Amino acid sequence: MDTIEVKELTKFFDKDVKAVDGISFSVQEGEILGFLGPNGAGKTTTLNMLSTLLRPNGGTATINGHDILTEPDAVRRSIGYVFQDPTLDIELTGRENLDFHGRLYGLDRNTRQQRIKEVLELVQLTDRADNFVKTYSGGMKRRLEIARGLLHYPKVLFLDEPTLGLDPQTRRSIWEHILRLNQEKKVTVILTTHYTEEADYLCKRILIIDFGKVVVLDTPNKLKERLQGDVVSLTFKDTAAIEKFRPLLEKKEWIHKINVVASGNNYAAMSRMMQTSPQMVNSMVDNEKTIQEETSPPKDTEQAVFEKNIQFSGEQCSKCLNLLLDNGGHRIPEIVKLAEEAKVILESVELRKPTLDDVFLSVTGRNIREEEGSFIDMVRRHRIMRQARGKPTRN
Amino acid sequence: MVQPISKQAIYVVFLRELKRYWRAKARVISSVAQSIFFLAIFGLGLGSFVGDIGDVNYLSYMAPGVIGMGLLFGSVFSGVSVIFDRQFGFMKEMMVAPVSRTSIILGKILGGAATATIQGIILLVVAAIMGAFTPSIALVTGAFAAIGAMLLITSGFVGLGVAIGSTLNDFHAFQLLSTFVMWPLFMLSGVFFPIDGAPLALQAAMLADPMFYGVELLRWCLLGSGTAILGPFGWLISLTVVIGFNALMIGLGTYLFSRAQI
Ligand SMILES: Nc1ncnc2c1ncn2[C@@H]1O[C@H](COP(=O)(O)OP(=O)(O)OP(=O)(O)O)[C@@H](O)[C@H]1O
Ligand SMILES: [Mg+2]
Repeated sequence: MDTIEVKELTKFFDKDVKAVDGISFSVQEGEILGFLGPNGAGKTTTLNMLSTLLRPNGGTATINGHDILTEPDAVRRSIGYVFQDPTLDIELTGRENLDFHGRLYGLDRNTRQQRIKEVLELVQLTDRADNFVKTYSGGMKRRLEIARGLLHYPKVLFLDEPTLGLDPQTRRSIWEHILRLNQEKKVTVILTTHYTEEADYLCKRILIIDFGKVVVLDTPNKLKERLQGDVVSLTFKDTAAIEKFRPLLEKKEWIHKINVVASGNNYAAMSRMMQTSPQMVNSMVDNEKTIQEETSPPKDTEQAVFEKNIQFSGEQCSKCLNLLLDNGGHRIPEIVKLAEEAKVILESVELRKPTLDDVFLSVTGRNIREEEGSFIDMVRRHRIMRQARGKPTRN
Repeated sequence: MVQPISKQAIYVVFLRELKRYWRAKARVISSVAQSIFFLAIFGLGLGSFVGDIGDVNYLSYMAPGVIGMGLLFGSVFSGVSVIFDRQFGFMKEMMVAPVSRTSIILGKILGGAATATIQGIILLVVAAIMGAFTPSIALVTGAFAAIGAMLLITSGFVGLGVAIGSTLNDFHAFQLLSTFVMWPLFMLSGVFFPIDGAPLALQAAMLADPMFYGVELLRWCLLGSGTAILGPFGWLISLTVVIGFNALMIGLGTYLFSRAQI
């Protein structure tokens, strides 16, 4: 029996909108599974059901052999959960937060002291342990939460966007901790993230979830193999050049796919608008939601459908073309020659391997942006921040 | 669903309440100061105008009521703080631990009752220093009885706070809570004026206020007498009502809390 077995798990908050729509998967002992999905895909809701915080409307799951519906206490004893949103008591010190946790999980005094020391060292917070959490930076708070999730040596660990907002160095060290923990203590991990390179680096398998459904579940390598070949990005002098050149490229049978770079959301413009007219942005988000609800996601994940939907991640660029082809390096001279013959001016040519970003974009039709997060993400965070400050949200 | 109770869990939540109380010095100081203002300004100022009520002076009459005010506000606020725990996410940390919600909320109620009672004891000492009570052996035993009464009264009102906090979901309801729950409970509890002389409708409202019996009980403990309306066994009636209210509110708070969404 696998450590985590999920069967047809379903949750709806409104009658029509299913946050989680009958998902099934299993995770083997000692595996790290990555949940990758756009905002509102249902990642957190799934984790909340698996951790018995939310009761599913349908389906069930077992964790470490215990059913989430009938043995919630045993399930909770088996898991550690690092939540997406902050859950520390900022009026207490770091050590007190850990001590509170240890007591809640029934650890005796000696065990508590020894483990608190251990996890504090793990996240390098030993020298700040006796300061109030309200004096911590965002990254320090996150590290403390991760330390807390490990304190009771859970069999299964849920990490909901564990490295969100951390600097690259801290993120690296958290990754190493997660891997070490996984290897030494055989902890089974489900991790949600918006960072594809995080999923790539840490996860044995990746589950892409969208609209509450499993879109694909596979190893990072298998996923990337779906985009066979190399990506060649061409930048032209202007859009007219694209119109002229594209038909010529389409005749070449060695090019599998031609695509204008998918636009991410224009973050800078949006954040400016956010400051000047938040109502408008809010209503745009709500519109976007209804559009998402109307256009249903691709139903089957056959390679053919996949290929039809291939898109490439990257900067928004109306003067660019992306090509998917075999032996990209060898084809570049040929492409350049073709451009010269057609009297089309190429400004740059770039060769790269397909990334999980491309896979993600191709199966969900949406971008996972690295640093900035999507527009919806931004608005959502903005709303959360306003809530935390106690101001009313416009809805 | 049967919810097992864990002593350890109750204890940790209790401990957290105490720690937080101890650290929120501004809150402690301001509520003690508020009560002192009431005692000094109303007790002495209004007192010189009103004269004695029954066979005690006005300051003595008011003191148990002002102590009751501190208990009431302190305990309801403690209970309602489940809203803040939820808002700031800490509730999730407690909910995902392998302990029952009943244990969590019992810890919360005990912690809230303890901190509000500490507040009450401080006020008791302040009132004594201001000369509200006649020093005697009876006062010493009465003070101990009063502390017991405080624990009973406050745990009931923390329960009420938890019930309200589990039903309401945001900060905005806070203002409503204060205007429509706390102040009527306080004003009708017979702090400033005796029930005997009040118009009938007001008397009925006062008799419906659970805090009225709390204040009555404190008066019996500290002054050795109570209002004529409840008769010579007023203390027994008050004690019964306080215990009944206490049981009801702890039950209600626990029930609503365990049903609430996180
Ligand atoms: N308590 C709630 N009440 C109503 N709707 C909710 C609630 N929690 C989540 N939802 C909705 O359920 C859907 C899935 O939300 P969920 O938080 O699981 O997404 P997610 O994949 O974790 O997204 P993100 O990447 O933004 O964290 C969203 O449409 C969200 O609006
Ligand atoms: Mg989430």
